[in-house]
Amino acid sequence: MTAVIDSPAPASTARTEPGYAWPVALAGSALLVVSGLLPWTFRSDVLGNVALTANPGPMQIFVLVLAVLAIVLLLARRGILPRVDAWSDTAGALRAVGAGAATLTVLGVLGISWQLGGLANVDPGAWLGLVGAALLTAAAFRMTHREHRDLFRAATSSWVEILAVILLLAAVLFGAAYALGQEDAATFVGVLVLVFTAVFALSKLGVFAWLGVVSQRHRQVLMLGAVAVAFLFPFTQEGSDANMSIATQVLIFATTALGLNIVVGLAGLLDLGYIAFLGSGAYVAAMMSHAAAATIGWKPNFLVIVVIGAIVSSVLGLIIGSPTLRVSGDYLAIVTLAFGEIFRLTVNNLDGGSGPDLTNGPNGIPGIPDLQIGSFNFAEPHELFGLPLGRFANYYFLLLVVAAVVITVFTRLNNSRIGRGWVAIREDERAAEAMGVNVFGLKLFAFAGGAFLAGMAGTIKAHHDVSVTPDQYIFLESAFLLAAIVLGGMGTVAGVLVGATILKLLPEKLRFAADYRLLFFGLLLVLMMRFRPEGIVPSRRRALEFHEDDEELAETIEDAHLEVVPDAAAEKGRA
Amino acid sequence: MDQFLQQLLNGLTLGSLYALIAVGYTVVYGIVQLINFAHGEVFMIGAFGAFTTWFVFFRNQTAFWVLIPMLIGAVVFAVGTALLMERVAYRPLRHAPRLAPLITAIGVSVFLQELIRLGYNNPLLFLANWNPFGLPSAKSAIPFPQIELVTGPALTPYGDIVVRRSALFILFSLAVSAFFLWWFINRTKTGRAMQAVSQDPDTARLMGINVDRIIAVAFALGAALAGLAGVAHGLQNNNIDFFMGFLAGLKAFTAAVLGGIGNIYGAVIGGLVLGIVEVMAVQYIPGGSPWKDIFAFALLIVVLVFRPQGLMGARVVDRA
Repeated sequence: MTAVIDSPAPASTARTEPGYAWPVALAGSALLVVSGLLPWTFRSDVLGNVALTANPGPMQIFVLVLAVLAIVLLLARRGILPRVDAWSDTAGALRAVGAGAATLTVLGVLGISWQLGGLANVDPGAWLGLVGAALLTAAAFRMTHREHRDLFRAATSSWVEILAVILLLAAVLFGAAYALGQEDAATFVGVLVLVFTAVFALSKLGVFAWLGVVSQRHRQVLMLGAVAVAFLFPFTQEGSDANMSIATQVLIFATTALGLNIVVGLAGLLDLGYIAFLGSGAYVAAMMSHAAAATIGWKPNFLVIVVIGAIVSSVLGLIIGSPTLRVSGDYLAIVTLAFGEIFRLTVNNLDGGSGPDLTNGPNGIPGIPDLQIGSFNFAEPHELFGLPLGRFANYYFLLLVVAAVVITVFTRLNNSRIGRGWVAIREDERAAEAMGVNVFGLKLFAFAGGAFLAGMAGTIKAHHDVSVTPDQYIFLESAFLLAAIVLGGMGTVAGVLVGATILKLLPEKLRFAADYRLLFFGLLLVLMMRFRPEGIVPSRRRALEFHEDDEELAETIEDAHLEVVPDAAAEKGRA
Repeated sequence: MDQFLQQLLNGLTLGSLYALIAVGYTVVYGIVQLINFAHGEVFMIGAFGAFTTWFVFFRNQTAFWVLIPMLIGAVVFAVGTALLMERVAYRPLRHAPRLAPLITAIGVSVFLQELIRLGYNNPLLFLANWNPFGLPSAKSAIPFPQIELVTGPALTPYGDIVVRRSALFILFSLAVSAFFLWWFINRTKTGRAMQAVSQDPDTARLMGINVDRIIAVAFALGAALAGLAGVAHGLQNNNIDFFMGFLAGLKAFTAAVLGGIGNIYGAVIGGLVLGIVEVMAVQYIPGGSPWKDIFAFALLIVVLVFRPQGLMGARVVDRA
């Protein structure tokens, strides 16, 4: 199944590994297993019940998962699983697993002593886990890295690859459903630690580089699978509106951020007033809705309203873009910021007192009725395949359609002549102009196009939120959208989805830290730009732009790229 | 006529405040071509620095001489913040793509606002409750100390014109600062080095100028004036809050663009013009007062369309 292509044979590095590292690590993992099966405290109402013997609670299951992963990796190091050992750097993965297990056990101890008042409430099980995690981490750091072949060079048969893609998507679906189901904040953080550790360990093993190549080879499977996962998600919630409300908020946010990603990620124009375009779409929908405070008498079909909202937004985009796009990127950032403020102040003022009565001033337009498309009313719960779907699930499916439209537009544009023009402008505007790229036209198109998509999303947001008010559309919201892109990865779809999910989900689940949300948010922006400006899921080209002098990265990217495009068919033949 | 003169004076006062902040944008921009989006927060922290100095050392004192340590406190806090953020956030990104420092600047801005909001009376944040000087919470506006002579009864020198003493303080501050700036840029070695770096950083480095130091000086210079503006704002408006830097910073940036960004005297002129335009628009455009903030931004867009190099003229930025 796995065949070696011409690449250097694995070679040990100079430093030798101390003999005790392996047994100590194994002992640590064993201790973790034991800890997972012993009670961590005496009360059953903490951390979702970790008080039973041989019946692990959620936190203990996480520890057990990591322990099993560690044991598999350790066995691979001794040559018992030769394939894993030949292709992967197990030392790095073991360090990640050890650190993750340590974080989990510390979190458990802190959670117990926080909720029950004092360390005295922590039973030996948890302490055992702490010791085990410490041993594993310490031993893993004594282990030596070995140079391995890059996993993405492995020629695997295509059914394995397709299976891997499907497994990944299934993991995303059930992981998301499971994480959303956690009510306890400490357990939720535990899920995050587990996911983070697993992702880190797997990327050390080279699994993600491989998955990246594989998913490019099987694009259709990935796309279909992603659509299926998104479609199936509401059915995992058993009609729980609380979680679906979060999910729809994430979708609205992600859709808007994807629109902004065209402007920022593809064309490289920093737009700090993007929320105003979402807002103008929302206000158009609200003013034309059947709400009591609606100010426009004409009540067309909702699809007409969507188009009008999008057009109004893009016209505003043209008005603000045409003077500023000629000058420079820096000016654009501040002018769009000023435009965002103008929008907020204008809707605040158009209350009949200091201008025409369009927006009802600071009170906004409350009581917007739910959408009614044909005979389908979005307010009523429905049942599909015997599974209940609430109000938010209805909006979820509608938003899914909008998100699909935006993603299609995004990827189509990215792979077109226009997209290449944007990249050229982003990298060097003068060179692009010299090459005959219509710089101003393309910039304006990106700007107005992004506004169009945001306006579209805004019309649905108005109905989803039930009311529109000026203070929903403040600068901070624009900054959040930008942060979703920065965090996830500029210019990629998956990155923005990840970034938007993190930024919307975390505040919902970590309410105890609500006051510190913005503080961490600001810190996050600074740290991301400093240490990983290309984001969590970077676009390869973008990563290179941020690390121009990193030749190793350039080579890896080139290699991976060559591996995928021309040789893929040939390799499959050889395998 | 009296009304016009009165409004002109109000405009000049407001404009002086903008001008003091705008210098910070323009000095930094002239040297590193970076819009320091967090400069508004430096202004805010300057005001809090002055208040802290007064609260800790001179509480309940309102004599005129207290203003001097307050000003020193403002400048120390503002300059410290600016130097720290230059060192920690901007310097590592000096050769990064243009977008990176701008996004960092937004992060710094939000971070500083929140740090003051949450940490002003509780510097250890969620770790512990610790407030050694009994400082008030910054979650709502804090009344600024009323210093004698500066906030006393208003003067009526001519006709119906009312001149607030704090307005005189602001105008005086701007005049002194403008003279100091002129002297510093043209008469000191560091000032000439700044001019050299702004013209051509690579050649300046070859001539033995420590470019890193000059950049730090530019940040410090802007921050000192912003700290002064913070005190002036507190005296004029009687209270300070953690969010005051946002709008003021945006307006001051408008002023800097209006004067021609990178041109220090332009920032002063731009600030004064912006202040006068804003006040006059509110006075003479019917129903204008709710639209006060919009005039400034509309002016910004108009300037960018018709005269992107600003009133005083400066290098036009032409690279995204």
